[in-house]
Amino acid sequence: MRIYFLALGTLLIVCVGCAHDGQQLVNHHGEYHAPPAEMLAHPGPMVGGPGPGVMLASANGGMVQPGMMPPGMMPPGMGCPPGPGMGMMPPMQAPAQSTQVRFLGPEGMQIGWQIGEGFADAQITAPGRYNFHQGATYRLKLARVPGREGLTLYPSLHIYPVQAQTAAYLEHNTLPIRITDEDLDQVETNNFVTKVIYLPDAKYQELAIAGVEELVSTRLGPGLDPVAEADRRGTIMAVVRIGNLDYEMPTQLGGGLSQQVGPDGELMQASHVVQVSGEQGQYVPPMPIGMSHGGSNIPGDMMMSGPSYPGQPPYNPVMNVAGGPTYGYPITGTPIGLPGPPHLPLGRPAGLKKHTVRNTTDYNVGKPVDQVLIDVRHEPGISMPEPVKYIQYTESHPSYGQGEVSMPAWAAGQPAQ
Amino acid sequence: MNKAIALALFVLCGEAIGQAQVPGRYFPLDHRQVPGVASRWNALTRPGAFGQPQPVQIHLPEKGTVSFYHGSPQRVVETQAPSQVGLFVGYTYRIKLSGLESHPGVELYPTLEVIDRLHPPEGLAERFPIPVEITAEELEAALQDRMITKVIYLEQPDVARPVESTGFLPVEELSPRENLMAAADHRGRPVAIFRLGGRIPDPQAPADEFYSQSPIQFSTATVPAE
Repeated sequence: MRIYFLALGTLLIVCVGCAHDGQQLVNHHGEYHAPPAEMLAHPGPMVGGPGPGVMLASANGGMVQPGMMPPGMMPPGMGCPPGPGMGMMPPMQAPAQSTQVRFLGPEGMQIGWQIGEGFADAQITAPGRYNFHQGATYRLKLARVPGREGLTLYPSLHIYPVQAQTAAYLEHNTLPIRITDEDLDQVETNNFVTKVIYLPDAKYQELAIAGVEELVSTRLGPGLDPVAEADRRGTIMAVVRIGNLDYEMPTQLGGGLSQQVGPDGELMQASHVVQVSGEQGQYVPPMPIGMSHGGSNIPGDMMMSGPSYPGQPPYNPVMNVAGGPTYGYPITGTPIGLPGPPHLPLGRPAGLKKHTVRNTTDYNVGKPVDQVLIDVRHEPGISMPEPVKYIQYTESHPSYGQGEVSMPAWAAGQPAQ
Repeated sequence: MNKAIALALFVLCGEAIGQAQVPGRYFPLDHRQVPGVASRWNALTRPGAFGQPQPVQIHLPEKGTVSFYHGSPQRVVETQAPSQVGLFVGYTYRIKLSGLESHPGVELYPTLEVIDRLHPPEGLAERFPIPVEITAEELEAALQDRMITKVIYLEQPDVARPVESTGFLPVEELSPRENLMAAADHRGRPVAIFRLGGRIPDPQAPADEFYSQSPIQFSTATVPAE
């Protein structure tokens, strides 16, 4: 009997092994999967950036190449129209890199923001609007709130990067933010208010005309996170967090931004503290506040480029430095020196086996040094935690098999009407 | 041909009219996608269509000015509504609406994405532009920071409504949950997407990405602003 089961098991393994052709690892229904449509809509076959043979495909449609265009009816000096079927790739409007925030009220409230060590007061007055660069957090200063004499608040405004779902909206609409009496009451009674502005997914759209919606922490049930809830319902575009911490206390230890006395009690030069007021006609753009990760090597829970120091590129959570490529946008060396795919690699080896560049220039320069020795030393030595060496990132895309996809009529090879 | 053009704005009827678009199936294009995706798809599918000139006529509910940005924000060409210009298939255009009688001082900046072209008789292209009609209700909604998206399509002759056109384009209002591109493809051939909202350019950055740099063709049908 034992020999019988052993033989049966062996037969089963052999049969399964024969039926396994490797496709089962990624393919369960005989389907083929490609990156999402918006990623496929790049010039190269599954590769972003202009590919070989593609000419002057700029991001914003400015791809007119003088001399190649047929003469049109353009007025003199107005450039040339493009010609049809020229083999160029169609242009793509660059997604908005800034989000226009509209402060609706209370009417008359002055909105300022942090600029380095100080604050720029009264940069706009509600109702008013301003374009904030995306992917950064700003410290606002709300003052002269009508009916709230002496109240000054310093909320943070986190502007999220544009997503495929929000690009069209952000290119055409403002992001409305209104500080209500209820919000102010909550803050004055020592509560913390979080407002999340998001664009609902289509299935959550309720109004006749599409628009943004807002979730406020004080109106949700206890234990509910407005950010998580908004993320479940749609795509977050901005988060406002309001508390009653005073960021301009003159004697605040280790904190105050515009303090005249330093953290060690030393006097600071008055010129070091920037004082800007819109009431005097002075306007300075906001600067993102410091790293949200506290300067540690531990990346935050959100895998996105975060704000960095003023004037510096966004902080990269994967490389743990500023200025690195955004996660999910690997820069791959290509034979033509262009960036690689903006989506996840396809998980297979590159087809290129050999790439040779020969420099035949005559030259007469000194012999290169073959060995250089420089001794450097830190006292005391450096001891830091182990860096991150493994990150698992999984993208899940819906897949549709044959009979489940409906293509546009014009893409299905039907004659034009 | 003008009578054969319809505007799709919402509410999907469930009849199985389209040949390629079948209700209930996944439709890869969506009006909520990044502006330019639909025209890009069409150009990739049919490269010969890309860059073809297509006259477009923009109507306002009242007297007003329609401005186009030709190549850069500084090269503004102001025209009187109804304004007719030649746009190009595959491009997205930023337009400025101003000088509205009932909204003095108000400026709106919609975009128009030209997906495909019409096929009028030879030499009559200027007589058959793609009409873009903007209503007073849409202007009001945009001023309230609402977003309006219209997909303009050429209806299929065999499924066209058997009624005579009254001079205005038929408009269907669909639920915001619907996919306008799928609905338009169900009824005919989408040729343009019009998006209108309340965002205005940053006055402190006059050359930002807000403006389009798409080329424009002007003709005798273009009426300069007074």
